[in-house]
Amino acid sequence: MQLFVQQVVLGLLIGGVYVAVAIGFSLVWGILNIVNLAHGALVIVGAYLTWLLFARARIDPFAALPIVAVALFAFGYALQRALINRVIRAPLFFTLLLTFGVNLVIVNALLVIFKSDFRSVTPSYSGSGFGVAGVQVPYIRLGALGVAVAVAAGVGGLLNRTRTGAAIQAVGADREAARLVGIDLRHVYALTFAVAAACAGVAGGLISTIQAITPTAGEPYTLQAFVVVVLGGLGRVGATVVGGLVFGLVETLGQTMVPGLGAGWANAIAFAILVLVLIVRPQGLMGRVA
Amino acid sequence: MSAAMPPPSSETILVERPRLLDRRRLRRLLVLLLVLGAVLVLLAPLTATDQADSLGAPQLVDRSQIRILTTVAMFVVMASAWNLVGGLTGYSSFGNVAFFGLGAYTCAVAVDAHRLHLPMAAAIALAPLVPAAFAALVGLPLLRLRGHYFAIATLGTAVAVGEVVKNVDYLGGATGLFPPILHRADLLFLYLMVGAALLAVLVSRLILRSRFGYGLIAIRENEEAAGVIGVNTTMYKVGAFAVAAALTGLAGGLFALWNSFINQELGFSLDFNIQMILMAVLGGAGTLFGPVLGAIVLELLIQNLAGRSDVAVYAQIGLGLLLAVTVIFVPRGIVAFFGGGSRLSVAHLRRSLRETGV
Amino acid sequence: MTALLSIQGVTKRFGGVAALNEVSFDVGEGEILGVIGPNGAGKTTLLNCVSGVYRPDAGSITFDGHSIAGEPPHRIARLGVGRTFQVVKPFASMTARENAAVGALFGASQLALSRAFAAADEVLEMVGMAGKASLPVASLTIPDRKRLEVARALATRPRLLLLDEVMAGLNPVEVDEALEMVRTVHRSGVTIVLIEHVMRVVVGVCRRVVVLHFGQTLAEGTPDGVLRDARVIEAYLGEKYARRLVGG
Repeated sequence: MQLFVQQVVLGLLIGGVYVAVAIGFSLVWGILNIVNLAHGALVIVGAYLTWLLFARARIDPFAALPIVAVALFAFGYALQRALINRVIRAPLFFTLLLTFGVNLVIVNALLVIFKSDFRSVTPSYSGSGFGVAGVQVPYIRLGALGVAVAVAAGVGGLLNRTRTGAAIQAVGADREAARLVGIDLRHVYALTFAVAAACAGVAGGLISTIQAITPTAGEPYTLQAFVVVVLGGLGRVGATVVGGLVFGLVETLGQTMVPGLGAGWANAIAFAILVLVLIVRPQGLMGRVA
Repeated sequence: MSAAMPPPSSETILVERPRLLDRRRLRRLLVLLLVLGAVLVLLAPLTATDQADSLGAPQLVDRSQIRILTTVAMFVVMASAWNLVGGLTGYSSFGNVAFFGLGAYTCAVAVDAHRLHLPMAAAIALAPLVPAAFAALVGLPLLRLRGHYFAIATLGTAVAVGEVVKNVDYLGGATGLFPPILHRADLLFLYLMVGAALLAVLVSRLILRSRFGYGLIAIRENEEAAGVIGVNTTMYKVGAFAVAAALTGLAGGLFALWNSFINQELGFSLDFNIQMILMAVLGGAGTLFGPVLGAIVLELLIQNLAGRSDVAVYAQIGLGLLLAVTVIFVPRGIVAFFGGGSRLSVAHLRRSLRETGV
Repeated sequence: MTALLSIQGVTKRFGGVAALNEVSFDVGEGEILGVIGPNGAGKTTLLNCVSGVYRPDAGSITFDGHSIAGEPPHRIARLGVGRTFQVVKPFASMTARENAAVGALFGASQLALSRAFAAADEVLEMVGMAGKASLPVASLTIPDRKRLEVARALATRPRLLLLDEVMAGLNPVEVDEALEMVRTVHRSGVTIVLIEHVMRVVVGVCRRVVVLHFGQTLAEGTPDGVLRDARVIEAYLGEKYARRLVGG
């Protein structure tokens, strides 16, 4: 029983990271109708920025998150405005290929700059935690979950309580109608992508404190973002939060609780779930029927 | 005015829309070039054999070039096969590499002395069958999804199958399988792979000019309308998926035997997965020769750049930029760009930007 | 008159709402039947049930002796039922001739590739688009796209053609041209079910109409008779007008 509770806690904590990774991905997919294959690369850019700030300027990784978010916001805005806006009305595999190309450029540019060495961010409190009734809770992972929830709440607040958010949602609902009421599509697209990139950057910052990073470490996160968004259902921040936590739980419990399956099966489980959810319930666990 | 238009005939193709007078000539030129290239590919390696050496004939290609040619042929198969689903039917599959991996593992298991221990010919014959059966099975539920959901579900299927394979001991687990090395078999596999490429082009051509092909295009253009004029959309889609799987599986099977080694990373490589799509789109999705051309151009580029470790990283960056430029400026692919009425001009670039951008 | 199409007690629900509730009527061989009704009456839903796009929740649909309720669209098309869509669905990257030719390859026609284009030219001629056969869909006007929709359906050689508001959005001159097209198609021996919102159209070509209202058959009969029916007037114009017009 204690083992089970421990796994549930760990699953939820890992789920927090997935939530942070998936929020930006979900936003771009839902509003721009683009599946951003460079999302994992943006996450890793955020991770490297956090590492730079930590290693060179001794800035605490959690304190570095706002700086990383602002940098990624600017980068995301420029990327969308200069490049992705140009193919936004093209058939879907064009946007997929374009973002795949962006992914290649970013990952290999990181390889040029940082080489393929493993880097990790290790503040003094990494590795420590507290125990409740024999269940261990690492500080860093708890912090990561807290930040993820805060980011989710922030994005939700932005979308539902601000003029900008209203414009973004209007564009997502009906591109042409939004244009007719005077919304500057290029700007709103770029803004949406910028917010998503900022979220990805924060997620990367969190990841840098949890695992060693390399330029190619981002790809699994793109795939996991897929799974989370599909699992939760496209279009609502709350759905992404549920999707991320459920995914973290299922992955952790699947590996440790099902006899005969080990860590090697994590991806197989994840993607089997993905395909099953898509087929059985394409609107996701929390999604509304289209 | 209708008298000036080309007369209706079975030669009319439904794939590209603007019909220019020079289209047919361009097509013939392309076919001629391809035939010439194919002949060259088939004959040149003969100069690399011991017999030619002993006759003192000049050696036109070396072993590494034979390897490159075989790889190019392999991608011609995969890009053409992808085109049947992604280009013709309009379902952007992002998981065709699953068929490649399944074909590869089928062959590897079939020839393995401790497993099925079948002759090589039997293994090659099995290579298309297993992926085709798999495609028919998963195609029924998957092809009910559309757009991004189909793309992701196919990608997820490919990753899941790869992960399962990695965890099954009978399939070599994380280590992989090692089909026996055939001594000096470079030429054999070159010819087999070129044969597979010719087969892929032939099958594509037959489909393009058939009721089946027109049905697939109708599905791409409007699936509901295709249904009510009498296209059995489910069967057609699954059929195209299975044919694509068979061809891709054949390429995978030949690859496993040729490479004498297959593991999950090689068999279910996400790089291969994206490359075949990129080739088809770069060359011209939905056309017959587009994917062939795209595969030749892109694979030669990759082989010549990425093969050298000193510039590999920059080559990848170049590839990414090429991708961006292609998608933004030549969205209909090379074939349509030079043959379909558009010219390499500022006006054309502006137009294609206006069509897709905001 | 033998019934080519027989609809008996067809019901279709979406969620809790019955879009069609126990609808029954027959269509005779060689007839032009009008199906009219206000917006949301269930006209298009009915057509979707007949053509196999929807599976009815209850009831039977018989075409030429075959039970077709719940059959997939392609099988119904193969038996000889053609239809158009209210919002046209052309094969956009093709020319008009190619659109029609694809129709000739499938449905009840099943022509060989070599003969499909000749058949396409025939049906384009019939709908008055012979001069525009080589134009891509993108350069066709809305009325022409509606004609093309009819041509593609005709190319499948249907015995029964279901036309879903082919006149909607046309100006009076275009409506007259479209009516002439419907008559031409009918003269060639095709039974037609004409779904329309505009009354004038139905009166012009149909001997018999069925009025749908909130998913139910409200009235059935000659156009004149139906149009004088108080319930029909009420459905279209509201209760007040109905009382004033009929004096009730």
